[in-house]
Amino acid sequence: MTDTAHGTSWPQFARDLTDPGRAHEKPEALDDLRVLDCSSGNFAALFASSILAEFGAEVIRVEPPAGDVARLFSPGGVKHRGTGLAYLVEARNKRHITLDLRSEQGRLLLARLARHVDIVIESELPGQMDAWGIGYRQLSVLNPRLIYLAVSTHGQFGPRAARAMPDYDITAQAMSGVPYVTGEAEGSGPAESSVPTRQGNWAAWYVGGAFGVLAALAALHWRVASGRGQLIDLTPGEAEMRLSDVGVLWYHAYQRIHERVGDLHIQVFPYTLVKTRDSYAFVAGFSDINFAGLTNIMERPDLKERFATTRDRILKARELHQELERWSADLTAEEILTRFQDYMTHKRGPGTVATARLNRPQDVLGEAHWWERGVLRKVDDPDYGELLLQAPPWKLSRTPPRIKWACRPVGADNELIYLKYLGLGKGDLQALRAAGAI
Amino acid sequence: MTEREPQDYFQWTAALFDRARIFDKPEALRGIRVLELTTLVLGPTTADFLGELGAEVVKVELPPGGDTMRYVTPEAMYWQNASIGFFPENHSKYHIGIDLHAEEGKSLFRQLAARSDIMVENFRAGTLDRWGVGYRQLREINPRLIYVADSGFGQWGPFSQGRASYDAVAQTVSGMIGITGFPGRPPILCGMFIGDWFGGLMAATAALVALHHRDRTGEGQLIDFAQSEGLIRTLDWTWVRHGLTGQDRGPVGNRDEALVPADIFSTRDGYVAVAAARDAEFTGLCEAMGEPGLATDPRYATLPERQKPEHMTALLDRIRLWAGKLARAEVEAAGARHGFAAVRVATARDKFEDDHLRARGSVWEYEDPLYGKMVEQGPAAKLSETPARIKWAAKPVGWHNQDVLNRLLGLSPSAIAALQERKVIGQWADRNGARPPAEWTGGSRI
Repeated sequence: MTDTAHGTSWPQFARDLTDPGRAHEKPEALDDLRVLDCSSGNFAALFASSILAEFGAEVIRVEPPAGDVARLFSPGGVKHRGTGLAYLVEARNKRHITLDLRSEQGRLLLARLARHVDIVIESELPGQMDAWGIGYRQLSVLNPRLIYLAVSTHGQFGPRAARAMPDYDITAQAMSGVPYVTGEAEGSGPAESSVPTRQGNWAAWYVGGAFGVLAALAALHWRVASGRGQLIDLTPGEAEMRLSDVGVLWYHAYQRIHERVGDLHIQVFPYTLVKTRDSYAFVAGFSDINFAGLTNIMERPDLKERFATTRDRILKARELHQELERWSADLTAEEILTRFQDYMTHKRGPGTVATARLNRPQDVLGEAHWWERGVLRKVDDPDYGELLLQAPPWKLSRTPPRIKWACRPVGADNELIYLKYLGLGKGDLQALRAAGAI
Repeated sequence: MTEREPQDYFQWTAALFDRARIFDKPEALRGIRVLELTTLVLGPTTADFLGELGAEVVKVELPPGGDTMRYVTPEAMYWQNASIGFFPENHSKYHIGIDLHAEEGKSLFRQLAARSDIMVENFRAGTLDRWGVGYRQLREINPRLIYVADSGFGQWGPFSQGRASYDAVAQTVSGMIGITGFPGRPPILCGMFIGDWFGGLMAATAALVALHHRDRTGEGQLIDFAQSEGLIRTLDWTWVRHGLTGQDRGPVGNRDEALVPADIFSTRDGYVAVAAARDAEFTGLCEAMGEPGLATDPRYATLPERQKPEHMTALLDRIRLWAGKLARAEVEAAGARHGFAAVRVATARDKFEDDHLRARGSVWEYEDPLYGKMVEQGPAAKLSETPARIKWAAKPVGWHNQDVLNRLLGLSPSAIAALQERKVIGQWADRNGARPPAEWTGGSRI
C-alpha cells in the first residue's frame, strides 16, 4: 500500500493527520458557537449538546437548583461523588449553571441568556416553554438568529402532539419499530424472551441526539446566508425509525410485515452469529462470491451447491445456520478470525469474508485497537477524579473533537456565566438564590 | 404541569410545519455538492442524510453491477426489478456509472471531485489512495474538499488492515450485542443495520462540522470515521461504570436498569413500552393501574428506591400483570391521561397506517417517475424554515450519466457516447437489482 509519489503508507499518512493525541494542538470547528442546553432528564438532548461541546462550542447546561433528574438515571441508583453514572458521560466540556424554569425570575434569566446564544436545546412537553413565555415564538423575537432544538416524544405538531407524555429511550425505541424486528421469533423459545427486544443501550436517545445536531448544523449553514434561525422539532422515536431499513417500503410493496427471525437475517445470509467452542462469533459471506470464500474456509464446497443462490441461502437460512454451527462448534472465535484473516491477507481464494468475536464490554477494553485510536480514554477530571469515558469517535484532520473535562457539580459555573453574559455580580446572585431562581 | 393547555401553540406549529408547504421553502444545504463513491449502507446513508437537507448528491458506481446493496433485498424479492433494500438510503441522487479501474475513469472522477464540496467513500482503508482517487490526490485538486472516509475499523490502527467489516461486525465488536437481549439466551443481532445507519448519521454530522469550519476558513479536511467506534460511543454508562467499579455489563432483557420503571410489556393485542422514571409520572402510572398506594410505598416512592434490583423486579411484575389485561391503545391512552410514557412497539403496518406519522412526513408518500407510488420512512428532524425532503427514488446504475457529465463537466452527447463505447462509463447490467422495471420503455431519465 506504499504510495511511491509520497513515500508514506496510507495508514501512516492518515494517522499523522488525525492522531487524537495531538488534537489539543489544533483549532476547534465550533468555538464560535454558544449553546444553552436546558433539557430535563433527556439523554438525546444531552448527547446533542455533548457533540457540540466536543467540537468546541461553549455549552451552558441549565439545571434546576437541585440538579437535573438526569443525574439520578444510573444503574442500581449508583452515584459517584453525588452524580449518577450516565450523566458523568454526557456532561463533557459543559458549563453548569442553575436556573429554575418554574420561577418567573428564572424564566427572565433564561430569556436574557438566549439573546447571547446560537442554539437552545430543550425537552419540555410540547407547548410548555411557549406557555412559560420562553418558547421559540418568544425567544426568536429577542434573537432572530436563534436555532431552537425541541426534543419530545410525539413532536411539536401532528395529531398526537398535544399528548402530554415525557420522552424516554425505551418508548422511542418502541415507536421506531426496531424492537419489533429484533429478537427471537415469536414462539421459538421461552415466552418471556421470545419478544420484541430493545437495544440494551439508549440507542434511540443517541440516534435522536445525533439527528438533532445534524439538523442544527444544517440550520447553522443556512443561517450564514439568510441570517435567520429556525425551530427544529425532533423526536428520538422518529429519528430511529428513519434508520429502520426496508420496514415501511416492504409493507408498501408487498403488504409484508418484517417479523422477528432471531439471527437469521431476511436480506443477507450467512450474516449471523454462530456458537463457537468458547463463545459466539459473527460470520458473513452472503453474496455468491463471498459465500464461495466462506465455504472454502470451512472446507465444505458441497454447501456451495446446496445453497447456490442468495435466495436459497435466505430461505433455507435455518438449515445453513446449523451447518455453520456444526463447523464453528469446534473452533474458538479467535481461531475463526485467524482463518478468515489468513484467507483474506494471502488471497487464498475468491470473496470477502468477515468475522468478529462477540465482545462483552470487558473484551472491548482488552483490545489495543480502541486505545490506540483514542476511542476509549481515561479522563482526569478536577471534580470527579479519573473516569473511563468513550471519546468522540471521529478523527478530523484539521479540527478534531476532544474532551477537556468530564463533568461539573450543580451550579459550579453560576458566577462565571452570569457575570460573563448578564453582568451579574455576587450580590445579585445572592438575591437570586434567596428568591429560589438559581 | 399545571399550566394552560396551549391549543394556540399547536395551531401555530401546525401552520409552521405544514407538510403541504415543504416544497415552498428553501433547502439548508442548497449549493453543496456531495460526491459519493460507496457501497452497501454506511456510505450511502452518509450522503443520503445530506441529500435530504438539500445537498446535490452524485452517486458514482462501478458499472454494470453497481452498489452491492442492489442485491440485498428481503427474501431476495425484487420489486419492479429493484432491491427494496436499496431505496431507504438512496434518495434524490444522481446515479452515474464510471469504471474507476480505467485511467480515463479516474480522470473523470477527479474532475467531479474538483467540483464537489464533500466526498464520501466507504472502501477498505487505503483502497482509493491506491487507485489514485483518495484524499491525498483529491486535496491537491480541491483544497476545499471535505473527504469523509467511512469504514469498519478506521483508516489506521491494528484492525484497520486486512479485516473486512459489515454493520453486524460493528455490533459484535463494540459490545452492543453483548449488552442486548436476555440473560442465558443466544445473543441477538439488531433487526436493522444499526451500525451502518447510525454510522452514516454520525459521519454526516461530522461533515457538517467540517463545513462550518470551511465556512469560516475555506479549508477542507479528512474525516476518518469507523462504524464500530460510533457504536462504542453510544453505550451510555457501560464504560464509566467499568472504570469505577470493574463491573462488566451483560444483557438484562428489556428493562432499563437506570430508569425505573421502564420495560416492554405484553398486552392483549401486541406489545407496549412504558416508562415513568420521575416520581410524578410514577404516581400517575400507579393511579392508572388503580393502585395509588404504590406511589407512597417506601419501596417505590422514590427513584433511588425503585432502582434497587429487588424493588424494580417486583414493580415490573405488577405492571406486567396490569398491562396484560389491556389493549395497547388503552395503555397508551392511560399514559397520555396520567402523564407517563406509553408507546406501542410499532410494526411496519402500524407505521404505514399511522396518520400522525404521515402528517409529520415521518412516513413519506410520493410519486416517483419510474417506480410510481412510494411509501417510505421520511426525514427525521423537522426544520421549520428549511425542511428536509425526498424528491425521487433511487435509480438504476448510470441512469443520470448524460445529465451529470453534460451539466457538470460540459461533455457533449458525442463525447459521452464515445466514453460509453470505450466502457469508461456504463450503465446497468441486465439483471434484477440493476435494471429498470420491465414496463420501462426508454425515455425520461429523471
